[in-house]
Amino acid sequence: MKKYSVINTPHHNIDGIAKLTGRATFTFDVKLPQMLHGKILRSRLPHAKILSIDTSKAERLTGVYAVVTGKDTLGIKQGIWRRYKELCDEEILARSTVRYVGEPVAAVAAVDEDTAEEALDLIEVEYEPLPAVFEPLQAIKEGAPQLHEHAERNINVTRHIEWGDVDDAFARADYIREDWFRCSSQHHVCMETHCAVSSYSPDKKLTVYTSTQSHYYIQVLLAWVLGLREGDVRVISRYTGGGFGSKFELDSAQFCSALLSMKLSRPVKIVLTREEEFQATKRRTPMFYYLRTGTDKAGKFLAKEARVFTEGGAYTSMGATALYLTGFFQAFPYVWPAYRYDGYRVYTNTAPSSAMRGFGAPQATFCAESQIELIAKELGIDSFEIRRKNAMYPGYEVPGQAWIQSCGLSGCLDKIEEWIKSRGPMPPNRGIGIAAYGFMSGGIFNWFDTPYAFSTAVIKINVDGKVHLYVGSQDMGQGSNTTMAMICAEELGVTVEDICVHMGDTDVCPVDVGAWGSRETLMQGNAVKNAAAEAKRQLLEFAAAQLAPNIVYDLDIKNRWAHLIARPERGLSYFDVVKAAVRGKDGQPIMATGHYTPHRKGMISPAYSFGVQAVEADVDPETGKITLVNCVTAHDCGQVINPIGLEGQLEGAMAQAAGYGFTEDLPMDEGKILNPNLADYKVLRATEMPETRVFEVETYEPEGPFGAKEAGEGLTNPTAGALANAVFHATGVSIKNLPITPAKVLNGLKEKRNQKAAGSGT
Amino acid sequence: MEKRRLSMTVNGQLYEVYVNPKRLLVEVLRDELGLTGTKRGCDTVSCGACTVLINGLAVKSCSVLAMQAEDAEITTVEGLAAGGQLNPLQRSFLDHGAYQCGFCTPGMLMSATALLREKPDPTRREIQEGIHGNICRCTGYNSIIRAIAAVAQRKPGEEGQ
Amino acid sequence: MIRDFVYLKPGTLDEALALLSEHRGECKVIGGGQSLLILMRQGLVTPAYLIDIKHLDELNSITFDNKDGLKIGATTTHRTIETSEAVKAHFPVLVEMEQNVASIQTRNWGTIGGNLAHADPAGDPGPVLIALDASFRVANTEQERTISADAFFLDYFETALQDDELLLEVKVPTQKPKTGTAYEKFTIIKNDLGIASVAASVTVDKVGKCTKARIALGAVAPTARRAIQAEQDLLGQTLGEDLLNHIAQKASEEAKPISDIHASEDFRRHLVKVLAARMVAKAWKQAIASA
Repeated sequence: MKKYSVINTPHHNIDGIAKLTGRATFTFDVKLPQMLHGKILRSRLPHAKILSIDTSKAERLTGVYAVVTGKDTLGIKQGIWRRYKELCDEEILARSTVRYVGEPVAAVAAVDEDTAEEALDLIEVEYEPLPAVFEPLQAIKEGAPQLHEHAERNINVTRHIEWGDVDDAFARADYIREDWFRCSSQHHVCMETHCAVSSYSPDKKLTVYTSTQSHYYIQVLLAWVLGLREGDVRVISRYTGGGFGSKFELDSAQFCSALLSMKLSRPVKIVLTREEEFQATKRRTPMFYYLRTGTDKAGKFLAKEARVFTEGGAYTSMGATALYLTGFFQAFPYVWPAYRYDGYRVYTNTAPSSAMRGFGAPQATFCAESQIELIAKELGIDSFEIRRKNAMYPGYEVPGQAWIQSCGLSGCLDKIEEWIKSRGPMPPNRGIGIAAYGFMSGGIFNWFDTPYAFSTAVIKINVDGKVHLYVGSQDMGQGSNTTMAMICAEELGVTVEDICVHMGDTDVCPVDVGAWGSRETLMQGNAVKNAAAEAKRQLLEFAAAQLAPNIVYDLDIKNRWAHLIARPERGLSYFDVVKAAVRGKDGQPIMATGHYTPHRKGMISPAYSFGVQAVEADVDPETGKITLVNCVTAHDCGQVINPIGLEGQLEGAMAQAAGYGFTEDLPMDEGKILNPNLADYKVLRATEMPETRVFEVETYEPEGPFGAKEAGEGLTNPTAGALANAVFHATGVSIKNLPITPAKVLNGLKEKRNQKAAGSGT
Repeated sequence: MEKRRLSMTVNGQLYEVYVNPKRLLVEVLRDELGLTGTKRGCDTVSCGACTVLINGLAVKSCSVLAMQAEDAEITTVEGLAAGGQLNPLQRSFLDHGAYQCGFCTPGMLMSATALLREKPDPTRREIQEGIHGNICRCTGYNSIIRAIAAVAQRKPGEEGQ
Repeated sequence: MIRDFVYLKPGTLDEALALLSEHRGECKVIGGGQSLLILMRQGLVTPAYLIDIKHLDELNSITFDNKDGLKIGATTTHRTIETSEAVKAHFPVLVEMEQNVASIQTRNWGTIGGNLAHADPAGDPGPVLIALDASFRVANTEQERTISADAFFLDYFETALQDDELLLEVKVPTQKPKTGTAYEKFTIIKNDLGIASVAASVTVDKVGKCTKARIALGAVAPTARRAIQAEQDLLGQTLGEDLLNHIAQKASEEAKPISDIHASEDFRRHLVKVLAARMVAKAWKQAIASA
């Protein structure tokens, strides 16, 4: 008999009808009566004092209703790191100093967008330019321009991770290798740009429709910076057009539209243009990476030392977490007897770097896996052998950091090795590269300092058996609504069609800290499972009363059938049980709650997903152009819940991560992004996407609902590294500076030819 | 600026509106006609989220002056499902998970509709080229390609799963 | 944002020319608007009058005969050219070129005339039409004249059109026997504007000696331009590896590329060298094989 009725069977995403027929109302589509349109004036200088802002001409323009500047705010420096006040350093609407090109200095509300845009041109800002610094290694020097009073030498945060005796291990190593890498920035490129419609009413209540990954965070942050009562701020985000890490912090569209709305008591809508999106919303953290690795002559890892400087940009944002996670995942997915990591996040006069899918791990994996390939080559060890002999395994403890319970890494290595063998010998100029990864399944961080459980779910069952499931999680396209419906249906014993998911409204939904850190499946999933279990327990009381079995028998509900587990033919329809229960509860619907907060789960996460990816690529030796041929991934996400969703997450992650590897970049000149549009910023299109294959390596994760772990973020980790290794195998050139562009490939080939000519060989 | 009369048929319904001639077709569809299914995602005619059919041709409505749609027959995503039923393409998207956040989906469906009308049995390469003008950041395209290919393979008259 | 303009929709070509004359200097002509509207949205182009000729069927046609060759009206869309049997039969390189322009949506609405008048240095039709010895028929209310493709592009986004002239038609002469033409552009993402591009056309005689050569470079100068020296060095020669390398080197020297975020000047020159070698070889092979 099949183990599960609902989970791990293909079920379409439950938001499909709305999304496929144009019925889904994104914030981008929201229109309210009396609504005005807002636009934001942004700094063109990377570092300057604001001497004065004259808004009078703009205010006089016909059709303009209000103009706000930093003077109209409470001047609160906010941030996600509420526990650490010194890391709350961003006003959003600058009051006295601008620190990056694109920082907001004023906002206008007008009858339409054109008028608002015209009004921006009429706002006169007098700046006193200050010296600016753009590179972290420059910013950290004595005498460099200082961005924040409290941060000497522009050091924002530092992180240190260490275990074992690193220096001793290096002393004993047979082989040592050191490499420097540069990991570029990347932009999320959500199809729906940041936007918000704020509506403040005379009873001092604020409603904000917004595109977000955490309606809860936005609610709390807005209440904080606007001086409102949390419960009087309602954030609604029924459909979010992509997040990828860019939308769980308070952004300028939300803040400025709320300010303007409070001034006017009318709804104000602000939608960022694609140009603003590139220039002034946050981005992946660029990193300068140093790795030193020591092994014995058989390739057993003995010690690794990592040192990282990140280009933090003007504010802390989520960059401190990226700094930690890159150091943590630098050691994944292998056993390192000794490890030392030092990370420095440095303020620079550039747009803040923050969180993007992978959160520092893709950068770490690119460096780690590239270096491992070079080590394997030098030691004459097979790529799989070196990884196998050092791989993490179930039960391994990362000293002082994490317990690895489920771990399917070796199964993943096997599957990919098998696939590569099946490909046979490669034609000229083609190579296959691999990369292995491990990733968190639910970040346990509470820098936000929430007093709430990390995730809560509420269930209400109607007399007709319809289950209303209220979740705090945010579906931004990753399919959490469907996953939660499936978990609920499985636990409760009904079908997905019996579930109605309520999501994305702080007035209605319980708290969940948001769709970041790969936490929804494990944490919201556990909360949902717990709530469903409680609802089922209540129903089974009534089923037991009706069936009157021997006390030693257990009951369960499966496929809408409440029955004795040992004698499944003895049972009642779920619908009858519900009716009986409602009657028995004096007419009350069945109500249940469930929640989850990680306790004593290590420093990072209760569980870890694992995988190995192979990228097969052609390299044109004359032009350096890379063409993806195949991408195959073996991964372990514990128990698969939503197979269609999983496949989609994998393929989507791969496309983003491949872009990080070879096509996407954010070149800047004096802090100004030079390609702030989708013609010059190159995301993969359908024509660049290779065929992909997935191999599931099933494990059971005790921490996860039904044994499930994340699948969606970890999958962005390996591709850049696997691609770099593919290029290495195709050409002999190892490129350590992302993205891997044709020019870099050609330079590498030229250097190789010169080395050969000079006799030094490879 | 004096408004000009614009008459066009959208999803089979005749509309008459008065617009400033600088208005783009996507603005008229969304703001005047309230058909917000069609989206916008860029300013450089790059992303394709605004794709509609004009007289059967897939076009990016952010780069068409509304006045150029005078007397045209336009189809938007709202016009695909007839009689409350998903059409075979939408059904296939549903079955294959060919959407995630859903923002690019309307434009993607319109491009796919045009593609299948021209090439009822497209190869993978032809599908890739057919939706090349539409950026999707969530799916990595392969589920969309599978969904479109599956419509082609469905025998005529076969509806649903 | 787009500034207000007076919208004019002439019913005939003569009306269009009259309007163009009347408002010369303060108007723009719009075909499909696929390039123009971006400029207008950015406020770079702010005409007081906009003359819409998209619907002028008089200019929407493709004809071919052996004497006059191919004639494509200015408001013909890229897609129409791409799918035309006549073009496929006689100038397949134009079909290939069109298949690599932007996206289907853009090609469905954008016109060949609009593209050429826009004169983007990285535009696709320019180099190919130069390689094919094409010419453009243009007119104002007074007269008609013909400008060769080679002489049409003057500078970044600037053509030889006077401000009261309209591009009416593209004429591509019937190619001589034993002629092959090939075009390729280098991009990161398919169908992007080329980082560098080369169109080559080669005519050979019965013994395989080159009697005519055109090598047109795109995206590596303010306009599409011919690599004249490289062309001359091909004349009278038979194809060989050394010659190919020499021609490619010459062509790359005749490029005037800039460095930008997509590529350095050096890389563009290198690409010209690679593409020139490939396209000349391809065109030559076609020429030898053709009747």
